[in-house]
Amino acid sequence: MYGLESLIIQFLMTFFTREEINFFLRDPQNTAIIIGCLIAISGALLGTFLLLRGMSLTSDAISHTVLLGIVVAFMIMTSVFGQEPNTSSPWLIIGAALAGVTTVVLTELIYKSGLVKQDAALGLAFPLLFAISIILVSRFVEDVHMDEDAVMIGEIGIAWANTNSHCFENCTTVTIERDDELADITRQCFNCRDLGISPRDEGAEFSEICTNCGTYSPGQAWQAGLVDEEPLLVFWPESITVTALMTLLTIGFVTLFYKELKLASFDESLAKALGMRPSVMHYALMILVSLVAVGAFDAVGSILVIAFFIIPPAAAYLLTDRLSLMLIYSAIIGSAGAFFGYGLARGEFLGIFNIDDGLAFLNRVFDLGLLERWDSSISASMVLMIFFFFLLSWILSPKYGLVSTIIRRANQRRRFNDQVVLGHIYNHQSTDREAIELTTDDLYQHFRWSQSKMKLVLGRLRASNSIHVVNNIIQLTPRGEAHVKLFRQENLATESTVN
Amino acid sequence: MSKLNGAGKTSESKKPIALSIDDLTVAYNSKPAIWDIDLEIPEGVLMAIVGPNGAGKSTLIKAVLNLIPRAAGTALFYGKDYEQARSLVGYVPQRGSVDWDFPTSVIDVVTMGLYGKLGWFRRPGKKEHALALHALDQVGMVDFAERQISQLSGGQQQRTFLARALVQDAQIYFMDEPFAAVDAVTERAIVTILHELRERGKTVLVVHHDLQTVEDYFDWVTLLNVEIVAYGPTKDIFTPINLQKTYGGRVSYLNESRPVIVGGD
Amino acid sequence: MSRLSAEDRRVWIVIAVITVLGALFIPFSQIVLGVNYTYTVRTVATGGAILGLVTGVLGCFAVLRQESLMGDALSHAALPGVGIAFLIAGRDLSVLLIGAGISSWIGVQFIRLVLNTTRIKQDTAMGITLAAWFAAGIALLAYIQGRADASQAGLNTFIFGQAAAIVESDVWLISVISLISCGVLMLFWKEFKLVTFDPEFAGANGFRIGLINVILSTLIVVAIVLGLQLAGVILMVGMLIAPGISARQWTQKLNQMVILSGVFGAFAGSLGAVLSAVDADVPTGPMIIVAAFTIALISIGFAPQRGLLWKLIRRQSDQRRFAAQTTLRDLYKYANSHGEASYPIPNSLILGIGGSTASLGLKKLLQRGDVKQKNDKWILTIQGIQVATEDAYNQQLWDVYRVYGDELGVPLIMEDRQKPIEDVLPDDAIIRLKQKLNEGLT
Repeated sequence: MYGLESLIIQFLMTFFTREEINFFLRDPQNTAIIIGCLIAISGALLGTFLLLRGMSLTSDAISHTVLLGIVVAFMIMTSVFGQEPNTSSPWLIIGAALAGVTTVVLTELIYKSGLVKQDAALGLAFPLLFAISIILVSRFVEDVHMDEDAVMIGEIGIAWANTNSHCFENCTTVTIERDDELADITRQCFNCRDLGISPRDEGAEFSEICTNCGTYSPGQAWQAGLVDEEPLLVFWPESITVTALMTLLTIGFVTLFYKELKLASFDESLAKALGMRPSVMHYALMILVSLVAVGAFDAVGSILVIAFFIIPPAAAYLLTDRLSLMLIYSAIIGSAGAFFGYGLARGEFLGIFNIDDGLAFLNRVFDLGLLERWDSSISASMVLMIFFFFLLSWILSPKYGLVSTIIRRANQRRRFNDQVVLGHIYNHQSTDREAIELTTDDLYQHFRWSQSKMKLVLGRLRASNSIHVVNNIIQLTPRGEAHVKLFRQENLATESTVN
Repeated sequence: MSKLNGAGKTSESKKPIALSIDDLTVAYNSKPAIWDIDLEIPEGVLMAIVGPNGAGKSTLIKAVLNLIPRAAGTALFYGKDYEQARSLVGYVPQRGSVDWDFPTSVIDVVTMGLYGKLGWFRRPGKKEHALALHALDQVGMVDFAERQISQLSGGQQQRTFLARALVQDAQIYFMDEPFAAVDAVTERAIVTILHELRERGKTVLVVHHDLQTVEDYFDWVTLLNVEIVAYGPTKDIFTPINLQKTYGGRVSYLNESRPVIVGGD
Repeated sequence: MSRLSAEDRRVWIVIAVITVLGALFIPFSQIVLGVNYTYTVRTVATGGAILGLVTGVLGCFAVLRQESLMGDALSHAALPGVGIAFLIAGRDLSVLLIGAGISSWIGVQFIRLVLNTTRIKQDTAMGITLAAWFAAGIALLAYIQGRADASQAGLNTFIFGQAAAIVESDVWLISVISLISCGVLMLFWKEFKLVTFDPEFAGANGFRIGLINVILSTLIVVAIVLGLQLAGVILMVGMLIAPGISARQWTQKLNQMVILSGVFGAFAGSLGAVLSAVDADVPTGPMIIVAAFTIALISIGFAPQRGLLWKLIRRQSDQRRFAAQTTLRDLYKYANSHGEASYPIPNSLILGIGGSTASLGLKKLLQRGDVKQKNDKWILTIQGIQVATEDAYNQQLWDVYRVYGDELGVPLIMEDRQKPIEDVLPDDAIIRLKQKLNEGLT
């Protein structure tokens, strides 16, 4: 991981100076947004396929249960290996993948018992796994990274501070050993605390310890005054590397297996018949979802990552019918949400208005005593921003949006009602029941329509010259008759079989 | 050009009209599911409703019973709206519309047929229990009264549904594919019950899928393909020409007059 | 109707066992876990029991309507309502619950709206609502944390559940709401049953299914909103459906299922509440889920009739019976072909014919006394010969029925060759069949 980071940094340094990079990344906003966008892209790409396969809630379940994988991995790392819990360890990846698979397998098992329906099986499996992980977290893992709040919402706001330092010039690592002349040796009482005595008392025993021994990285050596020349460092937030890796993996997976994924999502039996292995795709997808959930864990917690999987693809689903476009749109929407979401956490809604003002307003009108400074969770705000874009897509999408659907349906209903009347005339004209069925006055009663509705329809039909009234009986004009014939051809089977 | 309408008009017989449907139209996504249906069914008739898949047979029943919204038209039961005539009507829905793993017994399901008469808040009692047992007896399922419905075969499920409708002692019965996937014994039993109902002067309308048995079982038939192709007494209406019109050339004849649907549908 | 069937007795036994376990838990926890049943702990336990009961009872219907995951969406959607209610009125439980309920309800309406107006499927619609509402809740909670008001800590209890936060006044409120909900349930019992089982039939019979669905959904929302304090938003769905799923395995009657579910829920609720109140590190929700899930596991595994273990045992016994029957027929046929029914048959031969079925069958036949072993050969005993002869005759009669049944005017029934035909057909029909068989044999 470290080596990869160095490579990336060296690449970037061909465009930007060291100071520029440091300055840019030290801004919490920039780092948070970069991480958010990376997560959004991974989530969007995978989430698109999940949506098409009807597996949105499985991603929900997995995001909850990767926590179990993480906790177990942590526990193994600390107790078996004595390592520091480190959220970028490969153990986590294994733990997460296992957790994801376990969720799916457990659900299948419960369902296969034949005693529980599919939705209930999921509703049993993931709460159990999540419950176990919470118990483990609260009892056995004492680490600031793992308190319950962080588990849910992550700490993307401080990701900028959790960095690895990379040295590019004047890189001197300094090691001080006990016999070094720079070593600072002092005496310390090692049994004072146990006996509850002070160092001056009798029975106090001393040992010699070195207070400044150890290995100093270039930056630390400079700070301790052990070297003369300042090393040139770049501070690179760890989370960026992790999430970038995930994103690359996801993009690679989707690009490489695009055809297979596409087919398996739309027509599983055909995929099988063609020799592709849809179940392998299925599990690969699940594992990747787990990995992304783990990679995003630090930043956005295990619950909010779900939003990145589900909402941008849903918004894109309403914008296009083409898979490739859907993937691109959802990645863009997710990233836009991450970008503007940061501002929202500080109260800035798309630069249009400020929540602080809204709070002040509420205080004036309702006297609620609200704090007039909106400072909230960044990851949650990113999700809310994504949801806002979904709402926009839902309402305004030219193809599938609310507005266009309402208009389209109204048109369809109008045309259908016209056809109902025309068809009725067609069927009853020149028959013995004509006088009963086709009078203008009580036609509406036959249909159980209101009089006004019938008037409207008749008015339209008269205006379009499809009907005329003769002796109080409604008749079709040639144009009207042509309309009826066309409608019948398109919608009614019997037309083609007559004659 | 007008469409063919019902033959054998009731001007000869003095039987009252049990069901009268006028201009009934149902839309699905602005496409017609059933279109301008006119039917006059006299009392005491045992009628099959047949047509290809997607012809709207189930839709017709559901629209008549107000279970789905109508785009236009009316349906009158002995001259009354469904709201007022509800107690005159019994309904046997498709078997597949229900989760048979539900925790309940056969007699419990049959008793549910009486819930409508009990209205809000009243509980079924001894009288209802006795009526339910009687209905089970009619379908030959008395021994199964306490059996859990998850343990029933397809035919037994169908008979349970039938008993649930019989217990309502209605005048007009609607049945949606009661013969679908049942064993021979059950089929025989159901036919017997249908004929008994007719003897008692009830009117029975049955969505039926098997063209082979229409002439044996039913005295009236309606041929439906979104529109009414024809309806009336089976001997007059169930002709090769009408069948051709209904099924669009996918009907062929094996021996003499036994029609069979060929080709995928 | 008042005598208890075996099934009813079983349900009562289960209820008794759970009650005893619950009662035993009290001394157990005192001695082994060092739980001190102070007033607070007792309050918490009572609250947990009542909440568990009502969520168990109402959750049955979520399970039966296959709306388990809707319960999950509803739970997550309650969170912002809690936050807003807090901002308006502080930590007043009844206001928080109302806020939760309204927020959930809005979430449900949004899901319905999206489903009706777009091509988005139900699981996605639920996922969107779940994630967005939850994020709104988190955002509000984060904002609230900025206040000097330290009591916001109580709001976190809605995320993971914290029974320790239940006070006596809460218990009163919870009890009243639970009582009312159960009352409504009993009032509309037959309507709920019918609409859940066959909504189409209900509609045709004049029941206002829209209205009934709304009442039932409201009850489920009430259950969820109440249970949130105990289980938290994320785990609520488990607490909602696990007792119902467990209860389903023990009974086939809806009323018993509901009662049993309440008992299971009360047990898990109080157990989890006590355990977590004692050890403040552990939130309540997970404890309850583990308890409830354990009950579910035991139920699915070991319940009579439906349970997996039972089915396994019964399948094996069926297999053995079938093997015995087939093997007996083979032995009989072979022996007769050699002239007499007691002809000894070599072991290798019968295994060659029947394979593993034969070895299984022989074991069973030996056990039953239908067959005995001499050296390496099998011989039918007198009892065995009798059984085999009767069986053969029965099969012959069935054959006659199949071919000549119609002709002889025998009533039409379903063939079940495992049954003796005399048990299934009336006597005069049997006489006719036997006559026909004799004719054919002569």
